[in-house]
Amino acid sequence: MAELTADQEPVPPLTIAGHWDFRYQYFAGDAASRFFHELGNGRIMGTLCPQCQRVLVPARGFCDACYVSTTDWRQVGDRGRLETFTILASRFPGLPDPPVVIGYVTLAGASTALLNFVLGLDLTDVEAAATRLLAQPAVEVRFRDQREGRITDFFFQLADA
Amino acid sequence: MCPVRELAIIGVGQTAYRRRHDCSTPELVSQAVTAALHDAGIPMQDVDIVTGGFAPDGLAGENCPDKRFLPAAGAVGRWSMRVNTGGTTGIAAAYAAMDLLAARYGDIAVAVGVERMAQAVNVPAVFNSIFDPVYERDTGLSTISMGALRAARMMMKWGYTPQVWAEVAARNYAHATRNPLAQITRPYTADEVLASRLLAWPIRQLDACPISEGVCAVVLAGAEVAQRGRAVAWVRGRASCTDTYNMGDRFDRADGDLVDLLSLHRATEKALGQAGLPSAAEADVVEIHAPFTHAETMAYAPLRFCAAEDGADLVRAGFGRWDSRPVINPSGGPQAANPVGATALVRLAECALQVRRAAGERQVPDAALAVATGQGGASQFSTCTVLTAA
Amino acid sequence: MSSSPAGAAADSVQKVYVHGTAVHRSWADRSASLTDLIFSATRTALERASIRWRDIDSVVLGAHDVTDGRSLTSMVTAPAAGAYLKDEIRLGEDGASAFVLGTAQVRSGSCGACIVAAWGRASESDPDAVAAALFDPFFSQPLGLTEITVSALRAGAALARYPGYQEWRGPAGARRRAAAGVEARRPAVQLPLRSGELPVWSDIVAVAVLSAQPGPVEVRGVGMSTEPYQVGDRDLLGLPALSQASGQALRSAGCAVGEVGVLELDGLTLFDEALALEAVGAASAGDGMRVLAQRSDINADGGFAAGYCAPAMGLVRICAAAGRLTGGSDLALATGSTVVAAQGQAAIVLSRNQGGG
Repeated sequence: MAELTADQEPVPPLTIAGHWDFRYQYFAGDAASRFFHELGNGRIMGTLCPQCQRVLVPARGFCDACYVSTTDWRQVGDRGRLETFTILASRFPGLPDPPVVIGYVTLAGASTALLNFVLGLDLTDVEAAATRLLAQPAVEVRFRDQREGRITDFFFQLADA
Repeated sequence: MCPVRELAIIGVGQTAYRRRHDCSTPELVSQAVTAALHDAGIPMQDVDIVTGGFAPDGLAGENCPDKRFLPAAGAVGRWSMRVNTGGTTGIAAAYAAMDLLAARYGDIAVAVGVERMAQAVNVPAVFNSIFDPVYERDTGLSTISMGALRAARMMMKWGYTPQVWAEVAARNYAHATRNPLAQITRPYTADEVLASRLLAWPIRQLDACPISEGVCAVVLAGAEVAQRGRAVAWVRGRASCTDTYNMGDRFDRADGDLVDLLSLHRATEKALGQAGLPSAAEADVVEIHAPFTHAETMAYAPLRFCAAEDGADLVRAGFGRWDSRPVINPSGGPQAANPVGATALVRLAECALQVRRAAGERQVPDAALAVATGQGGASQFSTCTVLTAA
Repeated sequence: MSSSPAGAAADSVQKVYVHGTAVHRSWADRSASLTDLIFSATRTALERASIRWRDIDSVVLGAHDVTDGRSLTSMVTAPAAGAYLKDEIRLGEDGASAFVLGTAQVRSGSCGACIVAAWGRASESDPDAVAAALFDPFFSQPLGLTEITVSALRAGAALARYPGYQEWRGPAGARRRAAAGVEARRPAVQLPLRSGELPVWSDIVAVAVLSAQPGPVEVRGVGMSTEPYQVGDRDLLGLPALSQASGQALRSAGCAVGEVGVLELDGLTLFDEALALEAVGAASAGDGMRVLAQRSDINADGGFAAGYCAPAMGLVRICAAAGRLTGGSDLALATGSTVVAAQGQAAIVLSRNQGGG
């Protein structure tokens, strides 16, 4: 039987190719299902926490801060405040070519902000666009014509655009 | 309630933090644990408990990869647990070990934090899949854009600028030149940081952390075992706090805004209180777990260095540099190496080395009090640990 | 491990009590998201415990990223288990391990009340694909192993060595089949295992609420141990980690397995349950399948056949044990096994608190 000694020629470290691909079906549950359904009706809805009285947007079945189930539904406005943003400069699978703006917006009547794309901004000069967004301009919701029950059924754009 | 058992860190072992194609994961774990036990002067047979941290599984492309490497840390025939709390994973593994020791389920524990993320060919896709699949994943959110959303808000609220953060980066890179384990050892200047590639406005390449691999191990013990005449690091305070996942729920929240980092504020309040300290500014060394420059400055108010709106001025005044106190990140911090599943434990290990006066070229003279933070999830998991020499 | 955890140090640690539990089982309930299921079960456990959520100090979770299809699952799921602004930690381990850590937090005196929760929602994923990914990509994955394969290897070894396993698998399996859910939710048969000996995948959330305040059930002893990763390095029949873990738990509780009236032992298949009985000392070597066939009180809810999804199952057994104690028996032993194929084991001895609570 052959024996290996410590002074053997090193072999190149081995790399084995793999891929990580599991299929899932995420159950959105009643609250998110209704939220997405209402997007189809051109409405953005939140749920009310009976304890802290916050209108939680996007809608959810419970308030994690009070740890109670939410009760009533509330429609919120289609204009709001840009809480923060970033301009994505790297390409990402499934997204439009960079630069792309995403931001959190608190809509009128909502207690919480929701994340989505901010479109319609001139991004030829990224720094100039960022300066404009830092001023927290008013934004409004725009629904897409074709809606499929996803968060991407709508986007934000500057209200004065 | 009964008094909680006193605990100490009695040994530290680390591999270098970089892409490690030369060793299997169990081999790296074995190297770090062997070094930590040697540092502690403890044979493996005296170990009761092994805890391991790894996060997330998708970065390794292995489901529960801990099961393959925990035996290399001595788990076979012993108590073992794998912890996964994102960025805080490594420190959370140490906390799990501390909980078990404090309950007197054993006297000596080994905690390891492990990272193997170079096995992921598409890291941004993995980091997108951590987000809520129902409401947020479709926006291409990743850890970088998540950080950038905070950075922009800090600019809106408190007048931070990319120049301030570039100063923070330059200080971290300068410190890293003293650390042979660091991945990035070139002392980039603030101008080089500002000229580096834009990732997600306002974050640039050199504001961010590199893709690092490696293993950190610490040996922990109850007070009765720790008192053997060897230098140890006493755990005088530790606390962990979890915030909501929903970033959108934290804007102008009464308890604290998104960028107030309420979870770290609460964890620090508790840990400093246990140690009887008014502020982490009392420490000789503070290792801040911040994978981005803005995130380091977001920790300043929770650590009681200053009011939130004064952070930029604090940086401009040279806060945290080598010749001042406290020295921030004498190791270079996560910007110099950020092995995700280990990095928060590295912060603890570096603090333990400092108060044990075993930090080599990066030793802060006479360090006796050190504070380490951990940060993970959607900036929602925070830890704060206070270590002392005596 | 300290030989006398209950001895010299007994007065410097807190006693730990189980105040309330909840186990949720369902399948593909589209009305509820994963976080909805976790919230609902945790609320139920808190209500049963009569402990207010705001009085909870810490939350200890058991959950797996790949099972949940969320690459850092507790980021999204922990607040659903009551973690908002609490001390919270998540293990990538079975719920029984989480229960041990939660117990340690209360016992150490650093925490007054703790939520322990573990879950797995098999209907959102493909449990066989998830299990296959547990095996290392170098030596095992190319062979297509799953955890069921390891159980089949155990079954084959048991059938070859112990005549009683062939003789009693029919009657033991018949009782499990009577409790079983839908046939379509079982994994593919891997011989020599038969369909009725395999788990029925389910959506499960288990929650226990612990406190240092006296309650109806006391945690009397805990134990843990770990086996090697490589299946070829393991004693597939002896389950040494389970023997060590249950031995520690019983010793620290100061009792023998013969005094334990309630046995709730986690096992992925019929053979894993039978071998677990032997490992904890409730059956002699080779006799586990007979005991399982003749004692309908072991895993009385149907065990693996009543619905299975890692990593909830050890906590399901603990919750079941706590529930049965309040019904009459004085002592219970519950165990939970972790991936990969029971590489880690945790054992818990519970007792009925005679003083009430």
